[in-house]
Amino acid sequence: MAFADPSDPSDPSGPLALHVDGISVRYGRHPAVENVTLELSQGSAMALIGPNGAGKSTLLRAVLGLVPLAGGSVSVLGHLAAEARPQVAYVPQADALDPQFPVSALQVVLMGRYRRVGWIRRPGRSDREAAVAALGRVGLDDRAGLRFGALSAGQRQRVLLARAIAQGSRLLLLDEPFNGVDATTSNLVVEVLSELRAEGAAVLMSTHDLSVAHLTCGEACLLNRRQVAVGPIDATLTPDLLAAAYGPQAVALAGGATVVTTS
Amino acid sequence: MRGFLLDPFRFGYMQRALIEVVLLGVLAGTCSVYVLLRRSAFASDVLTHTIFPGVVLAFLVGQPLFLGALVFGLLSAVVLSVATRALGADDDVVLGVMLGSFFSVGVVIVSRTTGYANDLTALLFGRVLAVDRAEIVVTAVVTMTVVGTLALLHKELVLRAFDPVGVEALGYRPVLLDLALNVMVALVVVAAVKAVGTVLVIALLITPAAAARMVCQRLGPMFAVSCAVAVVCGWLGLAVSYDVSINHGVRAASGASIVVVLTAAFVLLAALGAAARALAARSSPPVTTPA
Repeated sequence: MAFADPSDPSDPSGPLALHVDGISVRYGRHPAVENVTLELSQGSAMALIGPNGAGKSTLLRAVLGLVPLAGGSVSVLGHLAAEARPQVAYVPQADALDPQFPVSALQVVLMGRYRRVGWIRRPGRSDREAAVAALGRVGLDDRAGLRFGALSAGQRQRVLLARAIAQGSRLLLLDEPFNGVDATTSNLVVEVLSELRAEGAAVLMSTHDLSVAHLTCGEACLLNRRQVAVGPIDATLTPDLLAAAYGPQAVALAGGATVVTTS
Repeated sequence: MRGFLLDPFRFGYMQRALIEVVLLGVLAGTCSVYVLLRRSAFASDVLTHTIFPGVVLAFLVGQPLFLGALVFGLLSAVVLSVATRALGADDDVVLGVMLGSFFSVGVVIVSRTTGYANDLTALLFGRVLAVDRAEIVVTAVVTMTVVGTLALLHKELVLRAFDPVGVEALGYRPVLLDLALNVMVALVVVAAVKAVGTVLVIALLITPAAAARMVCQRLGPMFAVSCAVAVVCGWLGLAVSYDVSINHGVRAASGASIVVVLTAAFVLLAALGAAARALAARSSPPVTTPA
């Protein structure tokens, strides 16, 4: 599959970046996601909001084509999810990765180029340049040679974002990118995501943080296994709908605006 | 000292043993880094046991033991890689069941066979001083195959070990990468059994990289140190076992001597690494990197 040029501004008449059509996912008999439908056009961003166990990560995995669907379908840029995987970048949580692993920040970013490089061959000069440029965009070009695990949690999260940038994908999936990161990283990630959107990339991210969701995303999907609401973020993250997703214990803090559950 | 290191190798059988352990050092030194990164030490240990029935069967039907080991090594590498995936069971459980079942089948067959005790000892503890030219050629071919394959798959294997979800998200099939590594480990086991035996081969697959890890933070140097440790310890082990056996009248098995020296090297490098870290911590206060 040809890679789309990430610098190419989105064609408004082009296919949807992501179309999730009534999907359900089950782990054994246990339903993890039931009948979720959402659309994401190129250059737009959506926050996945919901309590722990609501199926946010499962939904991201379904978009990647990593879990079998019990129903419904996922298409990315007009293709089946499994076929479109090179067009999709996945940014895991930094603390899901072993900090003792002997790789440098630059080597981690280069991993985003591996599919282009192909089997057997080594990353070439253009890959290296793309990786260094991606590190530059997250403000870490001076940390390229440091061991990944020697960086702070926020810096590691930015390295993983740089890896997605180096991949040059049209759809970014981020799993809780603001969990446990410092303010500098948080601001920088918000900024970089809006730049990437301006370049035509679509963003789907799970988060607990309603304030960064508002800063980053125009749309939101409230999830609690079933889809509670989806649409423009202001119409979605209302106190009533949040209570419907999180239950009566949900508290929307003023200012910080983070959802807290006591369960 | 010079005599201690060189004198034993005046003899042809010692020279052949040295060539064999140098080849195995490069082979195991390289492969053990991937085993360490992938955290598949237990899987490797299981592979060392699952080739046992293959060897026994080969002995019974009069085929080369290497062939029996190879068939069962490849078979168990496939079962191992696919079963964890297909059954959805924990790796540890599948591995534990495989280890017990394969090994017991071997024991059952052996216990019904007479005249096997001698060969069994060689299989369990190795007999590196008895390697012949043909076996060295086999080891050389296996070394080139395994090191070459690992080098070609290097970036994907490292990615698989570092980021199990990310590798799949990029469109790779982790089960195939696991299969490739397990097959390579099986080949190392098969090649090294002659020298150090099934019981001790696990030391070759784990200790060199573990020792290198103590003093290296980067992957490139880790490969170099791991291979160097394995090669030097192989040489030293042979020299020690010769010296102790000839000059001190204590029979020291060569394979076991190599593993003892290897373990000593691990302890030494672990101490060196700890000392270096302590020194670094004292000379410069911890750097707080700005976020």
